[in-house]
Formats: sequence, C-alpha cells, structure tokens
Amino acid sequence: MVLIVGAVALIVVNIIILSVNSSRYSSYGSGRTAIFFIAPFQATVTKSVQFFKNIWGHYFFLVSVAKENDNLKKAINQATDKNNKYREIEISNFRLRNLLNFRKTMTNQVLVAEVIGQDPSPWFKTIIIDKGKSDGVEKGLPVVVPEGIAGQIIDISYNYSKVLLIIDRNSAVDALVQRTRARGLIKGQSDGRCLSKYVLRKHDVKVGDTVVSSGLDGVFPKGLRVGYVSEIVKRNSGIFQEVTVTPYIDFGKLEEVLVVLDSPKHDFVSEQ
Amino acid sequence: MTYCFYICVCLCLVIFQTTIIPHISLFNNFYDPLIPFICYLGLFRTARESILFILVLGFLMDNLSGGPFGLYLTTYFWLFIVVKIVIQYVHVNNILLLFVVAAGVLMENIIFIAGVSMSGPDSQFSAISIRTVIFQILWAGCTGFFFITFFNHIHKKLEKWFNGLIAEKS
Repeated sequence: MVLIVGAVALIVVNIIILSVNSSRYSSYGSGRTAIFFIAPFQATVTKSVQFFKNIWGHYFFLVSVAKENDNLKKAINQATDKNNKYREIEISNFRLRNLLNFRKTMTNQVLVAEVIGQDPSPWFKTIIIDKGKSDGVEKGLPVVVPEGIAGQIIDISYNYSKVLLIIDRNSAVDALVQRTRARGLIKGQSDGRCLSKYVLRKHDVKVGDTVVSSGLDGVFPKGLRVGYVSEIVKRNSGIFQEVTVTPYIDFGKLEEVLVVLDSPKHDFVSEQ
Repeated sequence: MTYCFYICVCLCLVIFQTTIIPHISLFNNFYDPLIPFICYLGLFRTARESILFILVLGFLMDNLSGGPFGLYLTTYFWLFIVVKIVIQYVHVNNILLLFVVAAGVLMENIIFIAGVSMSGPDSQFSAISIRTVIFQILWAGCTGFFFITFFNHIHKKLEKWFNGLIAEKS
C-alpha cells in the first residue's frame, strides 16, 4: 500500500517538475559537464562517420565522373569526326564551286567526272574516270580542270574511261606562249613536267611565261592554260630551244575533271 | 576454290595499287604488289594451274595501264618462267624468298624502262628512273618475303578448310 502511494506521489512530483521545466530552459550546470565529457567522443565518432561517408560518396562520385569523362571523350571524338566531315564537305564544296564557275566560263559542252583510279605503273600517267560511253564520252575528247588542260580520253568502256595525262611521255599538245605567241609541242616528261618541243630559237620566251593551248591540234580548245615556263635551254647549235613547262595542275591531287564533249574536230581531208 | 582465291587476291591487290597507294605519300615509290603473287605462283604452284591466270592478269593490267600494250603480259609471263627455272636449281628457302621479289621487281622495271625508252629520249629519265627502281627494290626486299609467306599461309588454310568441307559432305 505504502509502495503504491509512494509511486503515485513520485509520478505527481515528476509531472509537476516537468510542467515547471517545460515553461523555461534550465540545465543547472550539469549540461555543460555532460557536453564536456561526451562531445569529444561525439565529435570523433561523427567525424569518423563523415570521413567514411565522404570516402564512400567520393568513390561513387569518381565512378560517375569516370563514366561522365568517358561519355565526354566519346562526344569529343564524335564532334571531331563530324568536324572533319564538315571540313571535307567544305573543301569539296569549294572545289566543286570552282569547277562549276569554270564550267560556266566555258562555251563548250562539258561533263563533270570523278577520278576513281590511277595508273598501276609509276612509269605511265593515266587516270580512270567514272564517265563512259553511256554518258556521251568518246575516244579523243579533251579533259580539263579550272587550272588548265589535264589530258585526253584514250580508252572508253560503257561507264568508265581512261585519260592520258599531259605529263605522260606519249602525250602531245599543240601550244603557244601566251605573251609572244611562240608555238611549240608540249610533250610529257618523267619528272611530272612537260617539254615544249620545236620552239624556234628566235622566239622570245622567258621563265614564268604562261603557255596555253593553240587549238591547232584539233583536240584541245584554244586558250586553255597548260602551264608556265620553268626552264629554258638554248644550245650552241640547232634551230630550236628546249623549253620546260611546269603544269599548273597538281596531278597527284586530281579528284574531279571536266570532259569537253564538243571539242573542235578538224576534218583534215576536207580542209585540203 | 584455288581460282576463286587467285581472283580475290588479285582484285584486292589491283584496287590497292590503283586507288589506295597513290594517296599515301609513303608508298610513292612502292613496287607492283602483283609481283610477289606471281613469284608465289612460280615458287609453290604448278605451271598448269597458274599460267592461264598469269596471262589473264597481265592482260587485265595492260588494259588498266597507259603503257604500251603487252608490257605487263610480258613481265608476268617471263617472271613466272624465270622463277620456275630458278627453283629447279635452287631449293626454296627463306633466303630465296627474301631476294626473289626484289629480283622480280628489278626485272619488271628493266622491261618497263626498255618499253618506255622505245618512245624516245627523255633528259630527266635516267635520274628519276634510277631513284624509282632503287626505292622499289628496297621496298620489295623489305616486304616481299611477308607477302609470299602470307599468300602461302592463306592459300594452305583455305585449301584445308575446303577439303574438310568436301570430306564432310561426302
């Protein structure tokens, strides 16, 4: 009985104290002591937990960063690839625009063809183009580019043709020195240049002069550029001078050409 | 099967020679890659099996090239004959393989220079031709052996596979 009364009294006292304390904060100095002893442990444990939490978090963060890095690298590669493609398109566009402008300046009917192959032997200079008999190409037609004369069709199939370049030893173009109208026959040489043969000694030819087609060979239209004079040799004897002509065209980089479909054709029999 | 292999290899080599090599400056003076193939046929295959193919190949190359017709035909035919004669006296070993392609390239160049010279003199010809021939022979000396070994290895593998296939079916 006494125990029950004591317990009830304790509960009542407890409630009273709680209700009094709940109205204002008071630690009576013991709080400071508790903090003094406990806080360092709390701090240590909390810091440790934070440390491990950070390691764990950073690990995952690094994994995600590594993944992100991989993705960014991929994106950069794709962008670089795309950039290269655009640059290639830009160059191609410039080249084709150039070809188109040249085409507009030409009065002849021309056909654009793409170079698809080169001669298997380094001794001969021919190219294969993707236009043939089906496109109206015929044997003997001249092939030109904006820089000048490229060559002549020597063989045709239904869809493809073979072009003999002017730097081949078997090629010949009747040409004039633009400034003085000195005539000569342009023949290909092994070193990628041409030799203007049969130019008379008395004719005035200087290094740097432009050489153009004369149109007298009945193949190439008149006035198309062939190259420029890069060397002149006048021997002590002989009536001709040796004139080396360097073509304006870089034949190693030839990608598109124009086939002149209505080139001048001379009927030599009827002319006589 | 053998002819299929020949056609595939030659097609690859011709396309490589006419479209890829001209765009790589390192290979400016590279030799004709069909030479090691002709040498391979001469060294390891029978004349009966190879001769017709070599003639067709020579004909094809002559049509692709701007040179006088018959240069490739002549070169390939005589190269094959020479290799066949050589192996009657010399045992086929690695040392022979090292030199046979270079010798073949030299032979091709001699025939070509002779063919080109027929069309008239050229003041720049000798200097450029010597340089080209030297580079081609060096290339052939360095890579010819690998070409022949590769052809031989692939052909043997294909024959083995094909024979196994036939045996399985029968």
